[in-house]
Amino acid sequence: MLAFLGSAGVIAALIGSILLVVRGIRGARGGQSDLRAPGKLVLAGAVISMVAMQIALLNDDFSLAYVANHHSSATPFPFDVATAWAALEGSIILWGLVLAVFTWVVVRQASDRLGSAAVAVMAGVGVFFFGLMITVANPFEVCVDALATGCAASTAWPFTAADVPVNGPGPNPLLQNHFLMAVHPPVLYIGYVGLTVPFAYAIGALALGVPGPEWLRRSHRSTLVAWSFLTLGITLGGWWAYEVLSWGGYWAWDPVENASLMPWLAATAFIHSGLVQQRRGMLQAWNFVLVISAFALTILGTFLTRSGTINSVHSFTQSAIGPALLGFLVLVLVGSFTLFTMRSHLVASSPRIETFVSREGTFLVNNLLLTVYAFVVLIGTTYPLLLEAFTGTQVGVGEPFFNRLAVPLSFMLLLTMGFGPVTPWRGAPTGLLWRRLRWPTIVALASGLVVALTVTRVAWVILAIVLGVFVAAAIGGLLLEFAGARKAKSGLSLYQEARTVIGNDQSFWAGQLSHIGVVLVAIGIAFAANLPLHTEVELAPGESVEFAGYTLTYDAPFRRDEPNRVVQGVRVEVSRDDRIITVLEPSANFYDTEMGGIITPAVMSRPSGDLYLTLRNLDSETVQLGLDTSPMIWLLWLGGVTTAAGGFWSLAARRRDRVVEEPLVLADV
Amino acid sequence: MSERTRNIASVAVIAVMSVALLLLTSTQPATSDRVEQIGTRIKCPVCQGESIANSPSQMAEDMMDLVSERVSSGVPDQQIIDELLGSYTGAVLLDPPASGNTLVLWVAPVVALAVGIAMILWWRRHPGPSADDATAPGKSRTRLVIGGVALVLAFAGIVAVAANSLQDRPAAAAGAADIDEQDLSEVSNETMEAVIAANVEDPQINGMRLALAERYFDSGDYRSAFPHYLVVAEDPNATGAEAITALVRLGWMAYDGNGEVETATRLIDEALAIDSGSSVARYVRARVLWCGAGETDQAIETFEELLSDPELATETRTQIEADLEMANDGGECP
Amino acid sequence: MTGRILRWAGLAVVGVTVVLAVVLASRFGSDPGLVDSPLIGKPAPEFTLAGLDGSEGASLSDLRGDIVVVNFFASWCLECRDEHDDLVAASESFGDQDVTFLQVAYQEAAAESLSYLAEAGASSTTRYLADPGSRTAIAYGVFGIPETFFIDPEGTVVGKIIGEADALILGATIDSIRNGEQPGQQITGDTQQRPDA
Repeated sequence: MLAFLGSAGVIAALIGSILLVVRGIRGARGGQSDLRAPGKLVLAGAVISMVAMQIALLNDDFSLAYVANHHSSATPFPFDVATAWAALEGSIILWGLVLAVFTWVVVRQASDRLGSAAVAVMAGVGVFFFGLMITVANPFEVCVDALATGCAASTAWPFTAADVPVNGPGPNPLLQNHFLMAVHPPVLYIGYVGLTVPFAYAIGALALGVPGPEWLRRSHRSTLVAWSFLTLGITLGGWWAYEVLSWGGYWAWDPVENASLMPWLAATAFIHSGLVQQRRGMLQAWNFVLVISAFALTILGTFLTRSGTINSVHSFTQSAIGPALLGFLVLVLVGSFTLFTMRSHLVASSPRIETFVSREGTFLVNNLLLTVYAFVVLIGTTYPLLLEAFTGTQVGVGEPFFNRLAVPLSFMLLLTMGFGPVTPWRGAPTGLLWRRLRWPTIVALASGLVVALTVTRVAWVILAIVLGVFVAAAIGGLLLEFAGARKAKSGLSLYQEARTVIGNDQSFWAGQLSHIGVVLVAIGIAFAANLPLHTEVELAPGESVEFAGYTLTYDAPFRRDEPNRVVQGVRVEVSRDDRIITVLEPSANFYDTEMGGIITPAVMSRPSGDLYLTLRNLDSETVQLGLDTSPMIWLLWLGGVTTAAGGFWSLAARRRDRVVEEPLVLADV
Repeated sequence: MSERTRNIASVAVIAVMSVALLLLTSTQPATSDRVEQIGTRIKCPVCQGESIANSPSQMAEDMMDLVSERVSSGVPDQQIIDELLGSYTGAVLLDPPASGNTLVLWVAPVVALAVGIAMILWWRRHPGPSADDATAPGKSRTRLVIGGVALVLAFAGIVAVAANSLQDRPAAAAGAADIDEQDLSEVSNETMEAVIAANVEDPQINGMRLALAERYFDSGDYRSAFPHYLVVAEDPNATGAEAITALVRLGWMAYDGNGEVETATRLIDEALAIDSGSSVARYVRARVLWCGAGETDQAIETFEELLSDPELATETRTQIEADLEMANDGGECP
Repeated sequence: MTGRILRWAGLAVVGVTVVLAVVLASRFGSDPGLVDSPLIGKPAPEFTLAGLDGSEGASLSDLRGDIVVVNFFASWCLECRDEHDDLVAASESFGDQDVTFLQVAYQEAAAESLSYLAEAGASSTTRYLADPGSRTAIAYGVFGIPETFFIDPEGTVVGKIIGEADALILGATIDSIRNGEQPGQQITGDTQQRPDA
């Protein structure tokens, strides 16, 4: 029944998508056609398929092969819901649903030829993903050969299970070990899939030969939504890794992490260069390249992580979806760039930059750095694959390589970020930058000195502090300057005027909030990466050890039987100055499916940073523990969320912002 | 204070603070832990993409212990890394050297940056098309040619991708079921070996095993055929027909290859125990006894019985008739 | 001018995409975790290990002149259990013919390996060795067990079996080493890593 319902939803969405492609093309050619009806069909179909999967999961309907293989009746809430996207086929349902929602958004504003063309492209992508769901990655296959737990063989037709397992193995233990795994994928998917919208508008604009800023304007909000969610998703991913993977890290330049970072970098570059085109009419061709790249990188990332070509902590096992995704990637790149080539006489824009000392100049630098950054991640992730395919030689590329290149690029970006916001469009009058950046420079260096004298003299940390404070102070100084200028005329308070300044150009100040988020991330990473303490200890019950200013006392081992797992670990009292602060329980969580336990760290968060305990070995006599600190790591989470918040806040900007010119900077020249 | 004085003061303050910071940070002794540093450069071989410094696995811990022991006995970094690469290949080095076939990795980003800068400078000097050009119709023939070329390329690419992915899958760890659907006549012996090796546990693999063994058998390569027949013959999950074929072939090879008539008959009798009416088993048994033990009369009898079966395949019939004629003539086995 | 450059750039991207896609497609189905052993054809890493039961054990250099089979095993490894009988049988049938079988316990306390051997049945001709700190396993580049290495009488690694070995493969490999061949690396099945904690 649910197999039928789910499959019906998928097929409805597929038919709706095909109709949308046809009607979208007709609309793009100037014909009249109703897009809303098929748009609703796509949306309804996608919702039905997700609902069917959720009902199956919540009711432990093991006749569905997906449920039988990835769910267990012992899986607790919210992991039973999240199981829908814990494995390949299910995650495509989620992908399809998010795509359907974005398609509907585009359909609703498609009253003209450009909009119709964008709908056709969106729906074309939809045809691919819904097509996957009825072919190589069908989530609604029913079981025909049951195992003790799970399903050995399944079929799509005729919707009735010949053999129903009694129970399933449950989702991958790593994925049901933390609540973040329930929210991280949907958030990330909104980010990935959202990038389809600017791509669709770009292809529509190219096809129709209207490369002007209209397509940017129309896709602006979707781009921001996608970018904000992508930012949030990457942050949550790092946090999940930190809380679950038990090595105290949050980013390992793993292919899956890189797969999310590459589109983010391209999208960030696009948001900036899009502004240049909207303001100055420049970089028309470049924006097409960026937006096509950003979309292609989301597909590439999905391919790399879902096809089994790369081994990684979070990749699903290999399946026939690999060739399909690679074929689609080729289609996207070849199709888009062929179209681009055919329209090359139209996309080249005429205006040229007057001086590099201008907002657009800083954006050019920013784009250059972000593009090179994305290229570094791309080549580092794919080079081992390509080299092996060409020569058969195996090489590894990992953290040290990425860090060596990404760290200097990140610092250069921070520096550019300090200059960008205070530099006016078209060029800065002599002395303006000096006046605006003099105080931020002094404040930044002073902060660096304070930290160097009181906390640490590690160069990377000091550099991060100096550049970070520089960016933040430049932004603060600018706000004070604008508000001060108004105050001098109006006589209102500085605070009131600052609010007015922000309200008048909310999207600009929202962008600055994102910049501050990035600064927090940079400082957080600098501290956590350069100043952690680490040691390994072996304790008998009652024994204590001093670590990072705390006294850790091994109280006793414990064992807790939970419905889906057995938690086995030790209780460790954390005290300072003879006062017990908390009791930590580093543990190993044993799930039925896994032979060993999943080592789960215990974390105590304090403003100065985290204390991070990992179980290494537990026997009847003693316990071996890994003790780590992660100084200031909370800055990283806060920064990531702040960066995303900037994006969301920008969305709330009133539309009239776009026509409001930046408050006149020449007033005080 | 005049603007000029303030500027001078600011520059002085900035200069002094910069120098102080440089001094403070450069006098900081290197705190980085060498063991940790080497550890982050080596991939944990039993993990998925984690370095031995980061992985909590036992293997990573043991490798870290080894590194720390080498460090404390004064071995230079590169030598420690080379030692590990000697047993694990360059694939476990997370920090590719800027030489050999990983030089590209380090050069490419620098080249990309340089090209980017050059592009920006070039772009600035060369104004784009004027507004008139932009609206002028493009050279439609050129565009048509470009479109055509790109389409052909795309088509070629997609075909190649499809062909490649189909062709390569069985060679690795494809499931037995996948390959059964393919026409085995187009699959090489090596591929079949690989697939069989990768699916030892799969009971459905016997079909392929037999097909491969038959190929070896037909080409006279008993040595290669033997293990496969043996596996099928000993497999409790093999179907009766599969077991009979395997046992009969083993029997024939025992006689033909090693001259062991007794082993041969014993094996074929096992086959007959599964199905006493198996004509192949009976034929081969008779032939072994005739050629190996000189029991011509018994062979003639069996041959005649077999020929009386109207359902006997034509090919087998021809073969038996030829044998029968020869047995009747002189009794010498071919 | 700009238009022409863009046109060529676009076409270049299309071309490169197609080439890379074809190359990537060739990777489908190959196991990304699998790495060829660089030891084959090289002198075998030397080791001197004590026996699991505290006995004298074995030193590789003392076995020069013999074909040495070095197998890494553990009680927690299912494939090792599957191949155990074949290893014992091979060891006993080749044991008197200048072939020495060594089995090295991998990441496991000696007591556990010993009780496993007691249960599964140890061979009288095989020496069972302890490898504290996995030093020998690291020197031999063990990824997951079972892994079995073949060392010729000159002390060169000439063969490696990844996954479960059976009597046929063991026999065939030893035969080909006797014929002076280098059998190289063979993959027979899955390997396992130590389940942690």
